[in-house]
Amino acid sequence: MRFHSDLKNIRTFAKLTAAFSTLEKLVWLRLSDETAHFTVVPDTGSQIWSTLPMDFLFENCTIQSAEPSNTINLELSLQPLHRALKSAQGSISASLRLTKKKGVPVLSMTITTSTKSSSKFGNAPPAAAPLKPPSSYDDPFGDVDEDFQAAGAEHTHLETSLRREHEKIITQDIPIRVLHPDTVASTVQPSLQEPDVHIQLPPLLQLKSISDRFTKLALASGGSSSKSPRLEISANMHGGLRVRIATETADISSAWTDLDNPQLDPAQLRVPIEEHPSTKFRDRGPDSWASIYVDGKDWSRVLSAGRLEGRVIACFCHNQSLVLYVYIPHYDDGAADDAVLTYHVQAYSA
Amino acid sequence: MAILTFTLSEEGVTAFRDALNCLSKFSEDVSIEARKDSFFLSTMNTSKSAYASFRFATNRFFGRYQYQATGQFQDKFYCSMYIRGLISLFRSRSGVESRGDVDKQTIIDRCDIAIEDGEGVKSRFIARIIFRNGLTATHRLPFEVSMPVHAKFNRQEALYHWSISSRTLKQLVDHFGPGTEYLEVNTDGDHVNFTCFSEKTISDDAVLKKPLHTSISVETDEFDDIDVEDKLQIVVSIKDIRAITQHAAITGNAIAARYSLPARPMQLSYASDAISCEFLIMTVGERGGNPAQRTKKARKGASSSNNHIPPHLEATSRRTSAAPSQTSAEIQRQQSEMPPPASSRQPSNPTPRLSAAKASASRIGAFDFRPSQRPPPPTLRSESLFVDDEAWEPVRDEDEDGDENARLEWDHSADPVSDLVNCW
Repeated sequence: MRFHSDLKNIRTFAKLTAAFSTLEKLVWLRLSDETAHFTVVPDTGSQIWSTLPMDFLFENCTIQSAEPSNTINLELSLQPLHRALKSAQGSISASLRLTKKKGVPVLSMTITTSTKSSSKFGNAPPAAAPLKPPSSYDDPFGDVDEDFQAAGAEHTHLETSLRREHEKIITQDIPIRVLHPDTVASTVQPSLQEPDVHIQLPPLLQLKSISDRFTKLALASGGSSSKSPRLEISANMHGGLRVRIATETADISSAWTDLDNPQLDPAQLRVPIEEHPSTKFRDRGPDSWASIYVDGKDWSRVLSAGRLEGRVIACFCHNQSLVLYVYIPHYDDGAADDAVLTYHVQAYSA
Repeated sequence: MAILTFTLSEEGVTAFRDALNCLSKFSEDVSIEARKDSFFLSTMNTSKSAYASFRFATNRFFGRYQYQATGQFQDKFYCSMYIRGLISLFRSRSGVESRGDVDKQTIIDRCDIAIEDGEGVKSRFIARIIFRNGLTATHRLPFEVSMPVHAKFNRQEALYHWSISSRTLKQLVDHFGPGTEYLEVNTDGDHVNFTCFSEKTISDDAVLKKPLHTSISVETDEFDDIDVEDKLQIVVSIKDIRAITQHAAITGNAIAARYSLPARPMQLSYASDAISCEFLIMTVGERGGNPAQRTKKARKGASSSNNHIPPHLEATSRRTSAAPSQTSAEIQRQQSEMPPPASSRQPSNPTPRLSAAKASASRIGAFDFRPSQRPPPPTLRSESLFVDDEAWEPVRDEDEDGDENARLEWDHSADPVSDLVNCW
């Protein structure tokens, strides 16, 4: 079993792992020639299923596996992965390799970086970083020179700048578990229904801060059911979205209007567009709402997907399910297709 | 009557607090030692594997500094105080740390300190803090008169040394993830390797709970100067190194390391305008194959900027024998317990981690091992460069940790949707 690849879109990769780790500590990664599947399935709560094209995060990739269709199934801890990716941000280059160290399988990340580019402002294009002439205007550590001089040390500007361009090799070994195909066979993605309502969500930071406030309010107002407050989320096919919390003492809701209900592509549908549930909901007018209850804390974790800075389409099946599609833009390549994460939100009927 | 009075300026308060914050990562108590012309803050950790000291140049650091010799304190005054109590004074309502609603008016303008002791006088550390807005707060803290414990460092014995920009070193340390305990520094030709690892034994099914194993290879050119035996592996506590580099990076000056062989102390020192900082930390490790071979590089004019630091601190008190710098009797005893360095070398051993584990096992026997080397709690996990935007953190309450710790088991999730009501 072999896997070796250079990393690209490292910033996106780090954001992905950050979003994953709000739901679960571990991720199941299935690598194949064409796709990388990231699957997050906590014991309870919402799940994330994603199929990313291999070239979204990887390039110059080699996979060799004895398993059917050349796949490798790995389970890895998100925190070390995230930490390693943060190390790699702003680096000159980074690559990932499946290997064994002292008999234990690890995913070994090799990062080439320089002192300068490992700074927090070091998101310069990788190739440009080591070549960039040091200048007190764009150098985040421009104050270093002043400090050196103030301290009377005999560093010249030239010496300091030369030293900054030295490359360093950082190796981050991420613990992993290689999974047998039989082990993963029992984990299957929940089925998807044709939604009653599909709507583009408002900016997630806004939605999250209001939802969180409702959840905290319910937690603070006490009562037996306050351990995990349920928020009611509703949407219609006329651009409306509502978030509502009802406790013994309060009943509050926030409403958004003029949101976008995107057009469906008839070619992708299993039923003719005029028979699609969403068409019926649209025809019934703006008072026809598809509603679902979610756990306040779990919903808050789901909305952390906002850090991915992509469009989010919510698909409601009234009283049955809520699925979010999170579109992840390419930061490094604006022209490429977005990748999609599918959030199966843990939902409750009324 | 006041034995000692001094004034801290606004910057002085900040520098004083930074020093105390650093000291608090080693111990709960700080020793204060004052003379006519010198002022020391120092501490040693409970397992006596680390010692930290800050020397303030009285004429440059303090706005006013007056030492009044009396009674038992003819040539010097010394006492011991609870660090957190002291830190909290200088933090009071300044709002400097909390980025939130900074009220410029409650910033500390200056601080007058008086230490009173003697016949018929209560032993008190009196801090009068004058805020920008004109408010004055006076705090009276008790202290204990106890002789400070200093660790000695034999500069002659420390054959090896390097120095590097403190900010560069901090950037390296920032790459190390949480949960690790040790940092190994080894030299290999024209590279110096910093490896951060954990020794905790972990069962097979918990393999995913292992911390990130990080190794950084740095060219010797990156150092201001370096002179170290080739293949020498020296292991120190990462917690101590974090505390030191974090403070050193504030000053921004070069940090110098001096050491000899494993199981002998390492000295880390740096200086800013008016403060000299010295740390002694205990080491373990392995010696390479060729003691005669050196990794060497000197930069003209870049070295020896810290040479004004005294070769060793005061020749100490009753607890000296337990300090990292042992008396000769102790050294003898330790050498008899430790395998002689020459025979412990394993040139064919390519696994520093394994050998380090062996070395530290012997360290536990020979040296009172530090009990507090647990991984930092998750709240301390993010360091400077790696700050996450809090807005995206999910809402949670305090007693939720149980749920958070639940682990995913693929084998048991045959019906992952079982607890979803009426879904799909």
